[in-house]
Amino acid sequence: MKKLVALLLVLAMALACLTACGKSEEPAAETTPATTESKPAETATNDTKPAETAAPAPAADTTEEAAPAVEETPAEVTNFTMFITMPGNEINSDNEIADMIAQKWGVKVKETWLTGQTASEATGTILASGQYPDFIDSDEMNMLVDADALIALDDYIDQYPEFRDTWFTPDEWEKFRQPDGHIYWINPFGNTMGKSKATTHNDEAFWIQVRVLEWAGYPQIKTMDQYFDVLERYMAANPTMDDGTPNMAYTILCEDWRYFCLENAGQFLAGYPNDGSVIVNKETMTIEDYNTSADTKAYFKKLNEEYQKGFVDPESFTQTYDEYIAKLSTGRVLGMVDQWWDFAYTVNDVFKTQGLDLKGCNYVPLGLTTTEGMINRWHTYDDTVNQASGIAITTSCADPDKAFKFIVDCAMDQELHDLRYWGVKGVDYEVDADGLFYRTDAQRQQWADTSYQAAHRCQYTYFPQWHGTSRDGKNANKPEEQPSEFQNDMAEPLVKCFAAYGAGNYPDMIGSIQETNGPWFPMYSYSNNFTTETPGGLAWALMGETKHEWLPKVVMAPDFEATWADYMNVYNACNPQDFLAEMQAILDTFK
Amino acid sequence: MAKSAAMINAPRKDRKFTWKEIKRQKVLLIIALAVFVYGIVFYYLPLFGWATAFIQYKPKGGIFGSAYIGFDKFKFLFTNENIGFWRVMRNTFCMGALNLITSTFMAVFFAILLNEIKPTIIKKPIQTVSYLPHFLSWIIVVGILHSALSSTGIVNDVLIKLGVVDQAINFFAFPEYFWGIVAFANVWKETGWNAIIYLSAITSIDPTLYEAASIDGAGRWAKIKYITLPGIKPTFMILLLINVGNVLNAGFEVQYLLGNGLVKKVSETIDIFVLKWGISQNDFSLGTAAGIFKSAISILLIVLCNAWAKHAGEERLF
Repeated sequence: MKKLVALLLVLAMALACLTACGKSEEPAAETTPATTESKPAETATNDTKPAETAAPAPAADTTEEAAPAVEETPAEVTNFTMFITMPGNEINSDNEIADMIAQKWGVKVKETWLTGQTASEATGTILASGQYPDFIDSDEMNMLVDADALIALDDYIDQYPEFRDTWFTPDEWEKFRQPDGHIYWINPFGNTMGKSKATTHNDEAFWIQVRVLEWAGYPQIKTMDQYFDVLERYMAANPTMDDGTPNMAYTILCEDWRYFCLENAGQFLAGYPNDGSVIVNKETMTIEDYNTSADTKAYFKKLNEEYQKGFVDPESFTQTYDEYIAKLSTGRVLGMVDQWWDFAYTVNDVFKTQGLDLKGCNYVPLGLTTTEGMINRWHTYDDTVNQASGIAITTSCADPDKAFKFIVDCAMDQELHDLRYWGVKGVDYEVDADGLFYRTDAQRQQWADTSYQAAHRCQYTYFPQWHGTSRDGKNANKPEEQPSEFQNDMAEPLVKCFAAYGAGNYPDMIGSIQETNGPWFPMYSYSNNFTTETPGGLAWALMGETKHEWLPKVVMAPDFEATWADYMNVYNACNPQDFLAEMQAILDTFK
Repeated sequence: MAKSAAMINAPRKDRKFTWKEIKRQKVLLIIALAVFVYGIVFYYLPLFGWATAFIQYKPKGGIFGSAYIGFDKFKFLFTNENIGFWRVMRNTFCMGALNLITSTFMAVFFAILLNEIKPTIIKKPIQTVSYLPHFLSWIIVVGILHSALSSTGIVNDVLIKLGVVDQAINFFAFPEYFWGIVAFANVWKETGWNAIIYLSAITSIDPTLYEAASIDGAGRWAKIKYITLPGIKPTFMILLLINVGNVLNAGFEVQYLLGNGLVKKVSETIDIFVLKWGISQNDFSLGTAAGIFKSAISILLIVLCNAWAKHAGEERLF
């Protein structure tokens, strides 16, 4: 009897396995022909019937349905997958807002994020497997294009003229055009609708905790010397926090690609904007290497000095990103260099739930320069279009028409945008008599709670999104940019700090010059796509290798000058001039 | 009776290769064929991919659509000093050898110690506990190492409390510690598991030998030296030979997860090199070339060691 039951169970399991396999294979089989051959979608929009019947039936049908811009309550929900080469938090499969979006817009996207690997490793692995997610946003777009893994979006873009004209200017679209004449991806970030409401400094800076500034009597801090002077004095007076945790003056994140926290402050200190891999001298229109500049050397000399004095976290160069975030979340780290998006979303939420924001643990940015009185360009005021990456649809996507329509919806449908960033009306935010959105303290607290985020919040952060003012002309597109929200969300020490410096928001605090960047900005969007096939690309890869190894050594060395000289020798052996020459050639196209 | 015994004892080469014989063994042959096909499909067909090393591989064109470049990638690999292939080879070889020596020694040592414990009620739990770490994935072992060796971790705590050092040592910042840490991690994780095979080898030693030795007045030490160690020597030799072929598989996860910019010079193994240049820098051909070279060296090592074993009259693989 027992044996019989066991046999039945085994059979049932085997059947289940088989059917499961069958299911997963079906859409895959449909996929390839649908995507590669449904490119003449242009014709499908204009005529009711597709002119070419070459495309197989299912694909052709959806083309017809999805093409007209307005469509009420879609018949069925299409599930898409997306991979993003950034770390992120996966939301629950029954996430409430994701389900609402699925019901109204007919699309549900399962996002997966980078874990453990680097962006290029993850992209390479996906390519090697031949099984792509439906959407992808990678830092290595050129690899995907090289492998013919992406579908050209040009025709789709022209199907939605309103989207085309609002999302980018023709010049900006041109920047996305690849050497083969097609556009494969759309950058979802950095677009401002209407009046800018920017309140955060979503860039790099020397950050400092407000409790330090408060203790020091809100001094003016303009140079690295002044910055470390305040940190040192604070450490001497307050070796520990209230609860006995020892304070730490300064830490440096140095893991893999995130070593920009160590590497590129030199360009900012010299008064240049974040071109990333090089600096552009606007007067002579030449590319300069900040790695060897006097400003950069001075910056590392200062770090070295502070390291020898014991004010730099000795684990700086061995810690992982997770350890770094955990460290910041305790509130004991007084300062560091980082990008706002790299730490603030996680760390500020923790501060809020732990009550550390009330103790002045929040960070404010400082626009330091090598010497006092220089113009600083830490903050970028106009929209930065990074044409090196963005959201793309792969050849594995069974229904690219619907997929693209969802990208457009994300950008063009205010209701969808509000649902993603504000949440559900009456649950996550309220509307006052003037039509302004606001949140209660409880709602704000809930919004910052990670388990609530997984169960309820669905932002699809790598789909197109807007900064600035909403289409209703009153509210901000994102809660953190809503003036009332921004004010109410700040703990008292932060409010006092802003008041003391006469700053209304984070960009005021850093005080960068407001100007328009050159059309080449940012240069890193070009160098990101270099490959080792060209001498410049090889040099770029080797320079990165060298800097990864030597910059920590330079900071830790007992004899700075000797180590710096050694570093320069190794650095020059990588032939950086090849890289600079290729960057110069790109810059020359803008002359 | 005598006749059947003769048949059984008949030397194999006397058997004729006949259809009858094949028919008689068809079940065995079918089983062998399955394994043979498995070997072809999973070990030999993929070798076709080695062609990648001799062309400038582009995913778009595939193997047939990419330009033939001959040995350019190998030349680049061996002559370009900046990419540091020889350094990577050295790291791999040294870490592999260190791991092989420490883990083999510890496994034999542990197996003998365990064998000397007579009460099963103590012996069995120790054995079970000792091989449990084998089932942990490297990411977990690395996590444990990272927190144990951090400046506030248990190792530094103990060292400071004992007065050995007066300031926490940041173990991962010093290239000179790295190989040792990796070897230690390997020993910690695999000793119990590796000891199992030696334990079973010890069990198969004829107990009458020990009895005879006892009667002759041999103590524990003498019994280990003259009976146990010679008894496990064949097992030891075979395992050593197999593992020598694996020396260049010094590992990927440990070094990848424990490494950082400061120790890069000593931490990168061939596998990391292949990942970095093949996958990350998108130069599949270079990665493949490095992989081929690694395989070639491994085969060479195993052949040399086998020849040595043959020469010394020891147990050998082929």
